[in-house]
Amino acid sequence: MLARRLRSKFPALSCRWQTTASTTAVEPPPAGGHSSSVASSQLFRITRESALRTPGISWQDEESDRNIIGGRETRKMNLYQAVRDALSIALSKDDTAVIFGEDIAFGGVFRCTMGLAEEFGRERVFNTPLTEQGIAGFGIGLASMGHTAIAEIQFADYIYPAFDQLVNEAAKFRYRSGGHFSIGGLTVRTPTMAVGHGGLYHSQSPEGFFMGASGLKVVIPRSPIQCKGLLLSAIRDPNPVIFMEPKILYRSAVEQVPIDDFSLPLSRAEILIPGSDLTLLTWGTPVYHCESALRLLNSPPPSLAPLIPPSLRNAKVELIDLRTILPWDVETVVESVRRTKRLVIVHEAGMTGGVGGEIAAEVGKRAFLRLEAPVRRITGWDVPAGLQFEKFNMPDAVRILDGIMETLSY
Amino acid sequence: MLRSLSVKYSPLLTRIRPGGRALSSQPTSSLGCLPTTDSPVVSKLGFFNSVTGDGSKIPSYRVLDGFGIPIEGAEVPEISEQFARRLYENMQLLPTLDNILYNVQRQGKISFYMTSYGEEAAVIGSAAALADDDEVLAQYREVGVLLWRGFSLDRVMAQCFGTHEDSGKGRQMPVHFGSTQHHFHQISSPLATQIPQAAGVGYALKRDPERRSKNVACVFFGEGAASEGDFHAGMLLASTLPSPTLFLARNNGFAISTPSSQQYYGDSLSARGPGYGIDTVRVDGNDVLAVMSAVKEGRRRCLEGGRAVLVEMMTYRVGHHSTSDDSFAYRGRQEVEDRKKIDNPITRFRLFMESRGWWDKTEEEELKSRLKQDVLASFKRAETLKKPDLAELFSDVYAEEPWNIREQRKELAGLLEKYGQVWEPWQNDLKIFKDEGKKLAD
Repeated sequence: MLARRLRSKFPALSCRWQTTASTTAVEPPPAGGHSSSVASSQLFRITRESALRTPGISWQDEESDRNIIGGRETRKMNLYQAVRDALSIALSKDDTAVIFGEDIAFGGVFRCTMGLAEEFGRERVFNTPLTEQGIAGFGIGLASMGHTAIAEIQFADYIYPAFDQLVNEAAKFRYRSGGHFSIGGLTVRTPTMAVGHGGLYHSQSPEGFFMGASGLKVVIPRSPIQCKGLLLSAIRDPNPVIFMEPKILYRSAVEQVPIDDFSLPLSRAEILIPGSDLTLLTWGTPVYHCESALRLLNSPPPSLAPLIPPSLRNAKVELIDLRTILPWDVETVVESVRRTKRLVIVHEAGMTGGVGGEIAAEVGKRAFLRLEAPVRRITGWDVPAGLQFEKFNMPDAVRILDGIMETLSY
Repeated sequence: MLRSLSVKYSPLLTRIRPGGRALSSQPTSSLGCLPTTDSPVVSKLGFFNSVTGDGSKIPSYRVLDGFGIPIEGAEVPEISEQFARRLYENMQLLPTLDNILYNVQRQGKISFYMTSYGEEAAVIGSAAALADDDEVLAQYREVGVLLWRGFSLDRVMAQCFGTHEDSGKGRQMPVHFGSTQHHFHQISSPLATQIPQAAGVGYALKRDPERRSKNVACVFFGEGAASEGDFHAGMLLASTLPSPTLFLARNNGFAISTPSSQQYYGDSLSARGPGYGIDTVRVDGNDVLAVMSAVKEGRRRCLEGGRAVLVEMMTYRVGHHSTSDDSFAYRGRQEVEDRKKIDNPITRFRLFMESRGWWDKTEEEELKSRLKQDVLASFKRAETLKKPDLAELFSDVYAEEPWNIREQRKELAGLLEKYGQVWEPWQNDLKIFKDEGKKLAD
């Protein structure tokens, strides 16, 4: 039903629409969540050619000088399969690499580690007891010995018991030892953001809490190709990295992903849609709501048309995916805002203390005289993520559209 | 394999016998076991609350009595005179160092210090039982391990004074030592965080073909720190995964002002070991030979089983918690004086050495004088040294320097240039750094 409705709305989709939704019987909501913005997105690279042309790809194999057109393969993967692919490559190439966390061995509650215990053995892919502070501490210890420790925190909502280990120990490990001890080999992966039915404790976006933990890096991918490349970079980065994977995208985000070993750069934002009138900055799931918002703005459906002034419909909005939250790519963002003179930041986490405030302050400092409107943040409200209310809590296409229009006409 | 060992009697082993008082009336169950377990079914409702099975306290292993004489049935380890001297010299070096640095803090020359008074046997004895390249993760009262391993007094002073010779670049408070060369992981102030980390270090040793079955990760902590969740996490991981991690608990009776009677209700930390299914022993922590034997055997079991082992060393914190503490605010002077007299770890071992003809009064005086001279010389030298470059305020946060730190460094450099020559407080403060602040602008 849903598929047919969407196909009629977006005819271009009909030839490549992939759906796990049944067309007849009522099914439970997919465990991986479902989002119409994601389903209709044009941002996914669904052909081999476009995938291989992903900006910033750096091939990490021996044939890195090989022409990308000549012979590299891609395979259709969703986000959890891309995670799995990256992990498999990491373990194949690095004998010290191990993966651990709760329920890792059978494949993980989101299937990110499926088959890895069978492939690499239970000494390298294993379950830990139920203790996030233990998982983080254990990973720090492993990494302090120069090993590659890939820890999983089952939901970002449960990262707080590990907060002491991550902020007091991991972030400060190199500094406090004068550079003699370090834990670059530590990567902590965790599913993040809302999933449609997660409620207070399966929907959180805690990236803001780590902004003050200088010494850590925080990375959030938006798609399978991004996930694989950024995760491999994170694993190999000589600093401890927290890698937050938007869980609603695990099944619903699908791309043709290059099967070779490649990385994408950390601390580099990506301009997804170039523009000149306003900068729209976000990361993770809201990337697709932003994309939908731009579509509504440029070609509004009849129901919304009266509310969207024709003068605004031609606005060219520049959509940027921040990708790395800490340290974030201030250059790309500020360069964009100096051109467009208007900035809207979108994130699921609550307004107060969220990453948007930090970015707004820094952009305000650097582009103060250029700005023609205050920096606008469109975020989750300052409330816990109430289950029944999620659709009106997390920023959606219409709220983002409204914020864009307000900022354009300030 | 460890389970079969547990059936044989061993003075160094404590194990749970399921069924304390109330359950002991049913020797073997004719009612079978619960499905998929070995837990025998019983018909009488009974609760248990004893690790030893009869409500008595877990015993403490000892070799020498209060006068340095082997107790009845003692298992005196075979050590050479040379080795005994090395033990004794380090047990004296530690309080010699403590005396001087404690006073140095009182004079305002260093900001803080923690002494190891009363715990010399626990720390030196355990260090002596480890291999030099066993990875040690300590809490804060284990500089004796570093001294045993040959960490120089100059390096001790460098860290306490925070000079440019400090490998930690003056970033942490005194006694937060670290040394890659000595396999001694950097101390950090948060308590117990090192415990699950040690389980990870042990796992890395297990995975490393060069070090597997050769080295253990050894983690020290006090009985107070063992109340933290990280203790439970570390024990779980090292027992379950498993990883070759040796848990050495210094039960010195106090966590700052909190006596151990207010820290836990069970039979100290030893009672917890069997809860994790691991080999555990309690030892007289003021008997250096007992500590050495217990830790040596614990280490052996740890390597053989590849799993956590717990050694609880019962000792007494003679000194204050730190230079920020006056322990007579919460305990009587007489209690401390009594312990110093009747249960002095250094005295007990000295008497043992004298009984072997390995030590006498002249050597005692010579040793004390030499050690004091060495420490004083090192201290005087450290006093003259400059602190690290001020630029080190900003380095090593990440492997590389991100834009925010680079800009902040330059901002401070700019402020120093503007005010540093005219504002007297800054002028004075800048002089202590090796670069006098000049390298900030690089």
